[in-house]
Amino acid sequence: MRDLGLKIVDGLRLDPERRALLRPGETVTDAAGRRHVLPRFFYEIDSWEQAKQTSLSANFRLAELISVDCREAPILLDEFPHYVPCAVSILSRYLEAFRRRVDDFVFVSANGGYRSPAHALSRSPSLHAWATAAHIYRIGDTYLDDQNTIEKFARVAESVAPELYAKPFGHGENEADDHLHLDIGYVIYVPRDVDEAP
Amino acid sequence: MPGSRLIQRIQEISHRAGFIAVAVSFYDYESTVAFSYHADRYFHAASTIKVALLLAVLKAAEEGKLNLSGRLHVRNRFHSVVDGAIYRVSPDRDGDAETHRRIGRAVPIGDLARAMIVRSSNLATNLLFDFLGRDYIRGVVEQAGIAGLKFERGVEDEAAFAQGLNNEVTADGLLQLFRVFCDRRLLSEESCERAIAILLAQEFNGMIPAKLPGPARVAHKTGEISTACHDAGIVFLPDRQPYVVAILTEGPPEQRDRQKAVAAISGAIFHHLTDVVKRDA
Repeated sequence: MRDLGLKIVDGLRLDPERRALLRPGETVTDAAGRRHVLPRFFYEIDSWEQAKQTSLSANFRLAELISVDCREAPILLDEFPHYVPCAVSILSRYLEAFRRRVDDFVFVSANGGYRSPAHALSRSPSLHAWATAAHIYRIGDTYLDDQNTIEKFARVAESVAPELYAKPFGHGENEADDHLHLDIGYVIYVPRDVDEAP
Repeated sequence: MPGSRLIQRIQEISHRAGFIAVAVSFYDYESTVAFSYHADRYFHAASTIKVALLLAVLKAAEEGKLNLSGRLHVRNRFHSVVDGAIYRVSPDRDGDAETHRRIGRAVPIGDLARAMIVRSSNLATNLLFDFLGRDYIRGVVEQAGIAGLKFERGVEDEAAFAQGLNNEVTADGLLQLFRVFCDRRLLSEESCERAIAILLAQEFNGMIPAKLPGPARVAHKTGEISTACHDAGIVFLPDRQPYVVAILTEGPPEQRDRQKAVAAISGAIFHHLTDVVKRDA
């Protein structure tokens, strides 16, 4: 089974080590006590070259949305294949629509796209573990690191679609002060041909 | 030049420059001459503290706590050690524009360590400080047996500064730090060589190296804030063992030509040591 030219895998069939890190289909509880189910189906990425060549939309490559730093679990960082939840392709559609609105290059930061639940910065449950959130640190030549700029582009983002959410400017939890956080909530994409039997 | 004459020369230079305080410490591996002048007085460390962080980064790499080729997200956002308040490093006060241009990207830790030393990058320093943590860095300094070095906070942590929490060093403390690399202590031979190679690539060369003869190579780190102007490092000269030197100064904020004065002290030390070796020969 393939999509975007990538193999789709059931996380429950992965080796135990990766399964323990990606936690496919596991129910987690957020800070407010709400429960969410982590994604179960993933694109399998064979190489960094493949990630760089895979277009998710006209202006976003898969590589941009899976770039992480050394705080990712070593096996997920250093060894291919890599895995990213299938919803990353849906996120890219929203980012593309946002890019059309701002009419300029949109840069997603390292650690700003998909991060596994095992990433040291992933507070459980971070939307980044669903591949449905992006941290935009720069648009064209403008760095999004002050209140005016962040709020200006947040308004643009929220005009794209009601489900596209921008975190408000601020220094606290669920706020952002050095990037624009966009997300589309806990979207899980189950490609139509997969078997969801446990 | 006997030790007393060297002290007199340091005092003359210091007086002429208008320093409030000067401290000097050196150790010569060729003659085994050691010298201390107010070497246990604490000064604001300014950027010389970055050498202690370099030591900790290399130690962490050897322990598998990090990989020098591993990448770290460059983000200009830090938490004060005092109250957790958010603060940023000012690009205008940072000697290194390159790391600021890489904000948003993931950069190899080895590149950040190099930028922290050769261009004195404040942003790279804080990223590494943040990643390793103060306790780890202090632990490495302690393990190295270095006294006279207080690592308290990241660069431009104003909340900590307001509470009088500053990184401080003595000339002897810096001397011990550089001697770790020369003596191949705590770290492997390879890591010590790596540290020295980074320090040799220093781009700010207006102090210790300025009055030395052409063939001299200096693995060093400068540090300057409004009231402090320091340089410390290892001086490699042809056909002899190196010497390690730390020169710390404190002066009024409006002081001019302070780098030249540090360079003059470095020159006096060079002449003192070469005279000692000649005399012994």
